Order: sequence, then C-alpha cells, then structure tokens
Amino acid sequence: MKNSIKVERAKKNITQAELAKLAKVSRQTINAMELGKYVPSTVLALRLAQIFDTEVGKIFSLDDSDWS
Amino acid sequence: MKINYLFPHRFKVIGLLLLIVFIPIGLYVVNDDIEPEIFDFTVPAVFVDEIVGEQFVFGMTENNMLNEMIGVILILSFLMVAFSKEKQEDELIAKIRLDSLVWATYVNYAVLLFSILFVFGLSFLWVMIFNMFTILLFFVIRFHWQVRKLNKSLSYEE
Repeated sequence: MKNSIKVERAKKNITQAELAKLAKVSRQTINAMELGKYVPSTVLALRLAQIFDTEVGKIFSLDDSDWS
Repeated sequence: MKINYLFPHRFKVIGLLLLIVFIPIGLYVVNDDIEPEIFDFTVPAVFVDEIVGEQFVFGMTENNMLNEMIGVILILSFLMVAFSKEKQEDELIAKIRLDSLVWATYVNYAVLLFSILFVFGLSFLWVMIFNMFTILLFFVIRFHWQVRKLNKSLSYEE
C-alpha cells in the first residue's frame, strides 16, 4: 500500500514527532508507515485523514502487491 | 476498542528485577536439589502420586515448598516482563507483540519436538522443567529485540 503521509505532513509543516502526538501513536509508527513498512489500522488511517483534513483515499492507495 | 490484557509499564521493571534475582536461585535450587527444612509444609493437594509412597486424590501432604515458590515467582515474573505495556503502547507494538508470540510458540515447540525425539530418561524431565519457562523466555527475547530494532530504525529526517 502506498501513502502520502510525508507529503501531507510537509503541507501541514509538522514533524513526525508532532504527527505522532496528534495521532496518539509513537514516532516509530509514523516513521514505519512513511517508509511503507507498516500498514495502519482503519482507525489510525481515519485519524490521520482527520488530522490532515482530507479523506483516507487521498492519503492511502493500493498498489499491485495488495492484490497478490 | 481498547481491550488488551497487559500490565502497566512499571510491572516490566519489577518482573525484570525478580528474574535477575530468582533465575540464579532457581537454577541453584533445582540443580543441587536444595530443600531447607523451613520450607517443609503440610499442604493441600489435588493429586499425590509418589513413585514410592502415598497415592491419593484430594488431601494433605508433606512437601518442601521451595521449588514450588520459585516456580511461581519465575512464571509471574516472566509474565510481567512479557506482558507489560511498552512506554508507548500503540498498534505497531501490538503487531510486533503478536508476531513475536507466534514466533516464540513455534520455536518453543520446535525445541520440544526435537527433545521428544532425541532426549531420553532423566534429561527429558529437565527439558520439561525448562519448557515451563522457555515459551515466555523466547517471547521476551524476540519481542524486545524487535522493539529495539524498530527504535534504532528511526530515521532522523523530519
């Protein structure tokens, strides 16, 4: 799964640590998501969407490996 | 949503301290068969089945309780170290916890399968004694190693 967390974060001009605090997860989790190493739960995805004032589908998108 | 079965974070430190103290004591007591008289008690029992001696269901029996006490302390300590919350317990930690538990279960039973096939006699009894603790030991090692790896992998660009 691809995501644009880093881009959204840049738009909002906040650090990983600040986003982590807002989303109530650790900075490690934000980092792992940005690196594509961790796929968040629906709840966390919705939280991020709310923080970035957008929709989940705008931040996360499927790639080919998600269908294999 | 927030149901988990974890102890508060501080229990991890308590458990760790207890392990540091009681693992050496436990190994010494079991290895040298230490049974001081002050630990001799008459205790309630559900099953007693001595090789040479009494056999009954439900009753009272004489027993040296030192090894039982250490066994209980060790299991509770291992549970505390294994299942206390991390400083920041979130869903990634929960995933690592689950992965590590599966991994530890496989490794533990791999060791046990090997022992069933290749260890015989009294040595097998030792395997069974250690096997009471090894699943938690394997879990604790793997889980904390993975959490450490996660913390280290943190890239410092903001």
